[in-house]
Order: sequence, then structure tokens, then C-alpha cells
Amino acid sequence: MRSSELHFDAVVIGTGVAGLVAATRLAQSGARVAVVAKGVGSTHLAPATIDVLGYAPDRVDAPGPALEQLIAARPDHPYALIGADIVADALSWFAELVPSGPLPGYVYGGSLDHNQLLPTALGALRPSALVPETMANGEASGLKRVCIVGTPALRDFHPALCAANLSRAGIDARSVSLELKLERADMNTLGIARRFDDEKWRRQFCAELSMKLRADEAVGLPAMLGLLDPHEVLADVEHRLGRRVFEIPTLPPSVPGIRLYEILRSALRAAGGRLVIGAEVVSSTREGERVASVATRAAGRDLAYVAPWYVLASGGFASGGIELDSHWATHDRALGLPLRGLPADGEERFVATYLDEQPMARVGVAVDAELRAEGAENVLVAGAALPGAVPWREGSGEGIALASGYRAAQVAAGQLSPTAAIA
Amino acid sequence: MVTLSTEILVIGGGATGTGVAWDAALRGYDVVLVDRLDLAEGTSGRFHGMLHSGGRYAVKDPRAAEECIAENRILRRVAADCIEDTGGMFVTTPSDDPDFADRLLEGCRATGVDCEEISVQEALRSEPRLHPKISRAIRVPDANIDVWKTVWAMGHGVQQRGGRILPYHAVTAIHREGDEITGARVRDARTGEETDVHARVTVNATGAWAGQLADMAGIEGVRVLPGRGIMIAMNHRLVNTVVNRCQMPSDGDIIVPIRTVSVIGTTDVNTDDPDDHSVHQDEVDAMLDDGEKLVPGFRQARALRVWTGVRPLFEDAKPTGTDSRDVTRAHALLDHAKRDGVGRFFTITGGKLTTFRLMAEETMNAVVAQLGESRPCTTSTEPLPGSESSEPYRLGERLARKEADLIDEQMICECELVPRHKLEETITRTGSTNLDDIRRQLRLGMGPCQGGFCIYRAAGILHARDGMTAEDADSSLVNFLQERWKGQRPILYGDQLRQSRLDDWIFQGVLDVEHLPS
Amino acid sequence: MSGPAENGSDLFVAELLRGSLDHCVKCTICETACPVSNVTPLFPGPKYAGPQSERYRIADEPSVDASVDYCSGCGICSMVCPQGVKIAEINAQARNKLKRQKGFPLRDRIITRPTWLGRAGTPTAPIANFTLRFKPFRILGEKVLGVHRDAPAPKFAGRRFSRWFRKHAAEQGANGGAVAAGPAKARKIVYFHGCGTEYYEPWEGQKVVEILEHNGFEVVVPKQDCCGLPLQSSGLFDQGRKVVLRLAHALREHVTDDDTIIVGNATSCTLMLKREAREILSLEDDPDLKFVSERTYDICELLLELHDRGELKTDFSPINERVAYHAPCQQQGHWVGKPALELLALVPGLEVREMNSRCCGIAGTYGLKVEKYDISMSVGRDLFDQVAASGAPQVACDSETCRWQISHGTKLPSVHPIDYLHRAYGLSRNGSS
Repeated sequence: MRSSELHFDAVVIGTGVAGLVAATRLAQSGARVAVVAKGVGSTHLAPATIDVLGYAPDRVDAPGPALEQLIAARPDHPYALIGADIVADALSWFAELVPSGPLPGYVYGGSLDHNQLLPTALGALRPSALVPETMANGEASGLKRVCIVGTPALRDFHPALCAANLSRAGIDARSVSLELKLERADMNTLGIARRFDDEKWRRQFCAELSMKLRADEAVGLPAMLGLLDPHEVLADVEHRLGRRVFEIPTLPPSVPGIRLYEILRSALRAAGGRLVIGAEVVSSTREGERVASVATRAAGRDLAYVAPWYVLASGGFASGGIELDSHWATHDRALGLPLRGLPADGEERFVATYLDEQPMARVGVAVDAELRAEGAENVLVAGAALPGAVPWREGSGEGIALASGYRAAQVAAGQLSPTAAIA
Repeated sequence: MVTLSTEILVIGGGATGTGVAWDAALRGYDVVLVDRLDLAEGTSGRFHGMLHSGGRYAVKDPRAAEECIAENRILRRVAADCIEDTGGMFVTTPSDDPDFADRLLEGCRATGVDCEEISVQEALRSEPRLHPKISRAIRVPDANIDVWKTVWAMGHGVQQRGGRILPYHAVTAIHREGDEITGARVRDARTGEETDVHARVTVNATGAWAGQLADMAGIEGVRVLPGRGIMIAMNHRLVNTVVNRCQMPSDGDIIVPIRTVSVIGTTDVNTDDPDDHSVHQDEVDAMLDDGEKLVPGFRQARALRVWTGVRPLFEDAKPTGTDSRDVTRAHALLDHAKRDGVGRFFTITGGKLTTFRLMAEETMNAVVAQLGESRPCTTSTEPLPGSESSEPYRLGERLARKEADLIDEQMICECELVPRHKLEETITRTGSTNLDDIRRQLRLGMGPCQGGFCIYRAAGILHARDGMTAEDADSSLVNFLQERWKGQRPILYGDQLRQSRLDDWIFQGVLDVEHLPS
Repeated sequence: MSGPAENGSDLFVAELLRGSLDHCVKCTICETACPVSNVTPLFPGPKYAGPQSERYRIADEPSVDASVDYCSGCGICSMVCPQGVKIAEINAQARNKLKRQKGFPLRDRIITRPTWLGRAGTPTAPIANFTLRFKPFRILGEKVLGVHRDAPAPKFAGRRFSRWFRKHAAEQGANGGAVAAGPAKARKIVYFHGCGTEYYEPWEGQKVVEILEHNGFEVVVPKQDCCGLPLQSSGLFDQGRKVVLRLAHALREHVTDDDTIIVGNATSCTLMLKREAREILSLEDDPDLKFVSERTYDICELLLELHDRGELKTDFSPINERVAYHAPCQQQGHWVGKPALELLALVPGLEVREMNSRCCGIAGTYGLKVEKYDISMSVGRDLFDQVAASGAPQVACDSETCRWQISHGTKLPSVHPIDYLHRAYGLSRNGSS
């Protein structure tokens, strides 16, 4: 197979939050960066809140202090490698990046001092540190009376069940199911979000909903308040309904997640980074303890990307970055790096109760204190590929992704050239 | 205490028991059928789905082969809607004795099983995933049968004729008056309510549990040796024909395409407990290796789920060796009046799914004879509800139905194409609050995502039903997840592991099911 | 003994492609990206039509899902899928089966043969162009053929690129036989111009040649025909195979040393050579096609790679303009990113606006068909609006059919991105329309 060779300062593998953050930071520092990814990443599937630490194992009210405790108790945890200060820096950087992006006025709010409790589509309350403005009004402590609104065409959101569980949690909640004219029986949140981008459609929606609302009720909607200008859509809907409105994350696809992807993607472009989607890493070459090149599949032939630094942000088992094969062997699919956290011989990979902690969930690519992969000194690891965390149980997925992507860029940029170092 | 009176009480809602109830209802009897669980939740629902042509038994057990081919032809007529005419093929892989094919052809001819040897090229053309080095291929009329559809069709047929079907009713006592059995006491597992069922005749159709039930009636020596076998469902049809290895029946030598999946089976290990549903890792590994022998790349294909079924192998007196496959697979009908001097009580056990109708017919013939009546069996000509048109089932049916209503029908389970109205209808009709029971009727949540995307939706729809609380809907959802986990856990690798982690992401990351209000 | 490769090889390859459905975890990422299902309920979406429906399809049984014909075949779904499901390819197979079963309309047989059309239209260009723009004739065409009366129709140039090139080569004094032009002893490039350049936009080909020569390449233009993509995308697989293999053979003959590469400016046609013919038409094992596919570059891909290696001349004069750039679906299917975007950024003064829309809607011949025209325009609406909002006076796009559609939808001129490089190099005095 013939192959072309492309040279960069850094090559990032993966286009989820960790990969895009690492690449953007590197590009902002002046490095020539390419992001290669097999497809679009995890942003489209997750609620897009930045959950830093939600459970440890009880619900965490103040993620900042809880993070310090976790770091002290669990030196193998990704946060312990990253450090609390850098987590805080990464959050501030992110909060400043969002408004400079393609969505005018759209902001994330919150801090490490206090977790916000946001209703899920099932009516549980989920803790998050940093949340998009479109969800902020759902914060449980501020919710007295609420009407959860859905529509039959949206199979991914059941307002009555959401409201009933919220009521069980002590919130005065009821539900309304609004028939919308959507020309098909199934429409996902993305399809409806596109409608919300249209001012005329929004006006009609608000007019119909107004008639069903009671005084002093906030309104909770599935997360679909527009893709292009959610800040304006939220303001407009709140204005028309004369009350506070908030979004509730649904099953994939995630509209707030797609917004987050667009924000990060456009930041990468603005900083001059290259993004190559459809480019699966199929092989790599080594020079001693270094990765010399990675080859991606392109149409017709493979392309070799050569760089002094690589950031591996290809995710864990869910994205397929790490794989368990039918002979029960575990691999890092892109680079074949050694893993850590594997259950010992004789220990179960998965336990019998579904909702218990699963031992395999902690598996990740073995790294040192600077996130360098074991046995590959020019590879930094970020995001769900890191070992030692159980992101969904802990409520720490995006926090780890953001902070480790940020940290990986810092390590690589510091070595690339003294002038390019990120302060 | 409620009291019911009926003519025939059938204990056991598997294919055989439901078949007996259907046979009895067609002969005009009033019937009550009870099962401790849902219909076909035991052995019947836990098999690979193969409707035998008899080819598999042609060499080893000619009588079984003859029964199979006869029943195969009958069921294709009367249960057309439940059977897909996939055809079957025996192939000689490099691991098989090349001469067995001749013995098979000879056995098939002797037992009347249609068979035709075809060229290797033709076999590979029709099944491109087969091992390219097969040396012989023989076509037989194997097919697949959807057992849940079959059993529920018979159940509805019984209900239409005034019979009563009582799932989740476990027998707590057998009523015996002198030398006659007069019925049983049952307890509703969901409400705890007890019912006395008085019957002219009681039929024990509890399969692998038949010995336990006979004990309750005070009848000794009914020994049923449970033989445990595992099966693995693969995510799509690797083959569209039932494929058998051309050798003496053994472990992991058949792949059955059924509905959207292909099932490889099976193993056979003696067990003491018919409720032993354990799956051992070495069994899974061996099964995957067996799959490779028929379909190279089998280990790279996606396994969806593994389960265990427990066969009832009847043995009247003397125990034999350890491999229960050597015990006769033929069925046993015990007329306890003749065997034990206890009247109005029959046990039917053993056998195989393909011959369930025959077993039911023989049972009811004996019942009718003991009652001194003359009511002939009509199950070989009367189609099951839903099969009246004799149109055989086709895999594309659900896709075609959706296509006819592409825009206006909402899909709840995308993998198995279960539309919203079907789900709502089933929830209303069955009154069930258990999404796992609804699964077996609709195949809800049985596809690749194993409920990852549809179970939240289904829970929301279930919750909308009258009288359902959020607690009920939540616990039905969590219970479903746990049930699905059981079958996935031993085969979680490759694609299914990715799926399971994404599902986890949805339930823990997006919905936070662990932290629902309690 | 026959192995899978020898035994009904294409069946086995199709099975493996189909087997990629196992990787689908239902995540919906393809649905978020599908240009078609997001504007019409007539196409139920890539996940539904692809990995989901495929579990219900059996090779020998009749097709039951005609809705798969509403897939435009743009291939975006396969590109964004993070799990490696060959969604577009599964859909293409299903469409092919549907067409084989229902028969191919006359329309599909005609509009999928650009070479026939081009040869027929070129000598009579003024008449042909008048006819293509003459409403009563188009209405008739819609009634008889099912080609939508308003669909974008290219203008026959009335001259052929290959004639220009022969003249050009003679002027350059290159040695005859295989027609070649450019500096002697330079690295050789085999130029695959495609039908669009040959019959409709010969000036684009002239620009390609001049840019390559400016960068010191010797350009060879073999006699060539269609790549078969229109046939493939309409489900006419057997005909498509013949056509693409003929082309591959013609191109290969001129690759005489290991350094020689093949370059094209029709991005969908180069993609056909590189990947689609191999995957969708199950031609993985054809030696000519494999050879050609590994050596084929899209023009912008090549130029950016040269730039990455420091081998591209950057003697660009400023162009103080704004341009809206749209990366066509087929270009993205090369899996090399968006090279044109970075090339345009090299031109001083040029203000490049990246359009963030998936698809213009035309998808080759999809938007020409009467039953799909409105869908195609709805798909393109987002892009047309973005172009209008950008305030750019002109659009750059790598694919000719997309350019025709964009100009149809925006009423703005559209050019290949290399137009700007050509101008910035100061080569424009030669290669004008």
C-alpha cells in the first residue's frame, strides 16, 4: 500500500471533548496540529454539561473540595494526575472560550464551589459543575413549581414520567404533552431544534403552550432549543411564555452536545488546526520509546502523520478506543499501548448486578504523572482512554475530558518550543 | 380463596402444555392452563428456534427422524405464520468425517426425510459466509419456528374458545381424592392470591420439572434428568439457512437463522436442578470455537446474548451414563392410572419442540380414552390463530409493514421494529406491568442495543397506562436492564461491549437511573 | 478448492460489507448528519435504512423497502460513523437490489452516461444549450424522462478539453504518442479530467494543467471516459463495473514509473476511482483498479500535500475578495480533511468563509430526478442561506455537479478552488473560459 507522509507538530487522535480541547490548546499555542478521527465523537451523545465530580460515592455538593479529597484518596485517579488547579484552569478557559464561539451570547455557568442539580429525562436529579445557560433554570433548589412539556412525536422524552419522579423528589411538578405539527410520527430533538431556530415556528409553539400553563410554573423542555442561536431562542421563549424555561437532556442525539462540538470545532479551525474526519488510525511505527508516525485510512491509500507529539484521545470501551476481543484480550486500538486497571486473573470482568460498579470500567491506557503513555514517551493520553475513573458513576466524564485535554496540550506545548509554551 | 372448575387442567405453559390446552380446546373441552411463570419462559423459550427436518436424527435415532419430518410438514401448514422456510443444510467441514454424508443420505432416505446433495459451489453461493473448505453439502427441509409466537397463538386460540390462561400461577398443592387427582391449588405470584382449580383431568406438562410435580401428587419414580445447554445469539444472520455440521450430533454444531439473529447451539451437561441457568465461560469459549468451524470470522461477529435451556430427558428406571444426549430424546406419556393406579392424571415429558403437537395429541388421545369419550384430534388440520392464510412468515415482514406506514408510525424499538401502537395494545391486552414479559411477545429490546434506546421509551409509555405509578415504571425499567444484563454479561466483548458501555452511558450518564428518588 | 476470494468473490465481499452492521450501536450520529432525512420523511434515515433494515434483508427475497431509493448516496453517514459501519455502502447495495428488481427507468440509463451526453451535445452546443434551457422542452423532458424541469443543467462548452490539451502539448513541443506537456524530466502526472471538464468546463482542466506545470510537473492526458459513478449511484452496478474498469485500465497504461501519480479535479470521480468502485461495486480484487486507486489524488489533496512538504510554489499575488467555500460530501469522503480550505488560506488577501452545511443537495444525479428535485433543493437550502449570509460574491467548491446546483440555488457564480490559486499565480491570461 502506498502512503503519503504529512508532518505536524502534534497529531491528536479523537474528536471528543478531550481531543478537541487538546488540539485547540495546542493550535492556540502556535503548534501545527491535525486531529484525526474515525468519525464524529462523543459530544453528540452526552448531555454537554461539564460534570466534574457528581458522586463520591454519595452525591457531591461542592466539587472543588470533593476533588481535593478524591485526589488525596485515589492517587491513580486521572484527577490526581492532572491536579485540582489545572482542573480549575481548564474550566475557566472553557467558560471563556464558549462565548467567543459561533453561538452568539451562549454561555456556560457554574463553578467548582457548587454542583447544580439538574433534572434528567427520567426525573432524577443529576449533579453538574458547569452547565449551559439553557439548562441553568432547571436547578432543583430554584424549582418550586414546574411543568414538564413534551410532544408525542418525540419518543425520547416522556414528560409524565419525568414529572412524576420529580414530584417524588419533592418538586411540585406536572406535565403537558403538546401535539405539534411535525409531518411525521417520529422526530428527534435535533429535528425539533431546527424548528426552534425558526422564529415563526417558535411563536406558534409558545402560543399553543401558553394556553396550557398555570401561573408561577417554570417550564422544562427536552433539550431542543435551537442549534444556531440557543441564547436568543431561550430568551425569546422565556419572554413569550413570561416565565423561566430550561432544557432537559434526552437520549442521543444531544442538541446541546452538537452545540458543544460546533463551539470546539470552530475554536480549532480559528486557531488553524486541521480536522480530518473519517480517518481511522490503522497502524503506527515506532522508534524506540517513541511513536514515529501513525497511519490513517484514507480513500485509496493510507496517510502517514508524522509529529514529535501525539495525543491519544480515542476514548474507552464505549467509543471503541479500547477493545476487549473474543479471546478476552484487551487492546488500545489505535496505538497498541499497554493498559492499566485490568481485573486480575480470576477476578470478574463484570459483576452480576448491572448497576454495581463494573471492574472493567476502570481500564485505560497506562500513563505516568504527566499523562505520558507507558512505553511511548511522546504520546499523551486524555479523556476516557485514561485509566482509574468510572466516569458515568462518578459524574466526572466531561471534567476529566476537558482537564486532561487541557493538561496534555500543556505538556506537549511546553516541550515543542519554549515560546509556544502555554503559561 | 377463589374456586374454579374446569374439565382439563394443564400444568405447564410451555409448547407442550399450551399444545395440550389447544388440542383439548379444539376437542371442545373447557380448559385451564397454569404456569408458575409466563408462557414459554422455561425450556420452550430457551432453545435455538430450529424446526427439525429429522435429518439430525436420521442416523442415530430413526424413529425421532420420522416423527420430526411428519410434524415438520404439519406445522408448516397449521402454524405457517410462526415458521420461516429457511431450509437446512448439512455441510462437511474439514473437522468432520467425510464419510458421514453417505450415512446421512442413507438415513434420510430410510426415514423419509427429504434430502438432496448439492455442489459445494452452490452451497457457497447461497451461503457465502460458510467455511470455504467444506467438502459436501446436503439440503434438508429444516426451518425455524418462533416459539413465543406459536405458544401465544395457541394461548389466544384457547382463550377464544373460553379457556383460561393463568400465567404466574404456581401450583402449591395437588388435590387427590382417593385414587384420583381432582385438581390443584395455585398461587398468583403477583398478588399472592390462591385459587383452587377443580378438574376432571389434570395434565402434568411441566417438562424438566415433571418429577417435582409428580412428587407433589404423591407419585414416585418419575425421573427427569435435566440436561443444560447454552445457546448464543449472534447479532445478524450470518447464514440464512439452518446449517448443521455433517457428523454425529454434538456440541455447537448447528447455526439457526431465526428472526433477525442467528443462534448457535448447543451443549449438553447434566444438572441436578432444572432451574440451573448458569453459563460457564469455558462453554462460551468452546461455542465460539465451534462457530469458527462453520463460519470463519465467527469470533469477530457480534454476539448479542447467551442463555441456557434445560431439556427434560425422561428416564423411567435405571440411570445411565453422564452425557444426557445418550438418554432417549423421545417423549414419554405416563398414564398414572395404568402406571401408579392414580386416575385422572397424566404426565407428558421428554421430547423435543418440533414434536410438541404430536405429544399433545397423544396426551389428549389418552385423556379422551380414559374419560370414555370420542372426540378426535384436529390440531393437524386446524390452523393456529394468525396462520389461517397459510402464508409462511418472512423475515422482511416487519420491515414491509413499517414501509407501508413509513411516516405515521412511531417506532419504539428500532432494532426489532416494534411500533408504538403494538406496544400500547400489548400493554392494554395483557395488563402486564413487566416489560420483560412484553419483550417476549413483541421482541421489544431484543436487538443489538438490548433495550438501550427503547426501554426508557417503553417505560414512559407503560407509565402512561391507568394505575401505573412512577415507582412501578421505574422498577420495571431497572428490572428489564438487569434481565438483559444477565444474558449479555458472559459474552461482553467486541461490539456488544461497546454497546453495553453506551447503554450504560445513557442510563447512568444521561438518565441517572441509579439516583431515582426512592 | 476455492477460498472466499475465488468463490463468488463479490458475494463474499458484499457479505463482509454487510457484516459491518454489527458495529452499529444505534448512537444516532449518522442521523444527525444525514442531509436527506433531516428535510424529508420520505427517507427514514441512514441508521434505519442501513444497519437496522439490513438485518431484515435476505439476498434472494424481494426488496420490501423502496424508501431506500431516497438515499442520495452522499456518503456522509459512513464518514461520521465513529464505529466503522459502512452505512452508505449497505444502502447502495440495497438500492441496487431494488433497481434490479423493479427495473431501471430510461431516465436513469441516460443521465448516468455523461460521455454519451457530452459527445452528443458538444458539436451542437448552441442548440443543445438552448434546448436545455428552453422551458417547453424541459417540461417534455420531465414528462417523458422524469428529469425535473428546473433542475440545474450544465452548459455544453462546445469544445473539448482534450482538444485544447493536444494543441497545448504540441505548442510545448512535447514528444508525441502519449500526449504530454510540461517541463521535460519533471515528475510525471497522469491527469484524469473526467467528463465535466471534457465537455462542460474545459477551462478548469486548462487551469489544472497550468498549475501543475507551474509547479514543475509533466502532465500526461490519456484518452479516457466516464468513471461509472453515475451508473453506480443509480444502482446500475454491472454497467458501472465495465465503465470504471475500462477507465482504470486506460489510466494505468500511462503510469510508467513508481513516482507517477494520477490527479483529478472532479472530486467525486477521483473518489470513485479511489474507494467507491472498490467497495460498492465489490471490485476490491481488480489489479488495475487497485493500482490506480492507490495512486489517485484529488487536485487539492495533492497541492496541499506538496505544500506540507514545502514543495508547492507560493508565489501568490493577493486577491482581495471574499469567497464562500463548500466542501462537497464526496470530497469529504476522501478522508483527508478539507485541503481546499487550507490552500485558499495561502492566497494573500483572500477571505475564506467555510460553509458549515453538509450538502448542496444534488448528490450527482439525485437532484435531477423529478421525484427528488424538491428534496434536493430543501437539502441545499441551508447552504444557499449560508452563502447568501456570507456576503461572498462567488462560491468555491470541488465538485462540478455541486457547483451547478449551488449556482442554481444561489444565483451566484461558482468555481473550483484551484481557480483562485490559478489567479494568484498570475496564470489567468491563458486559462480563461
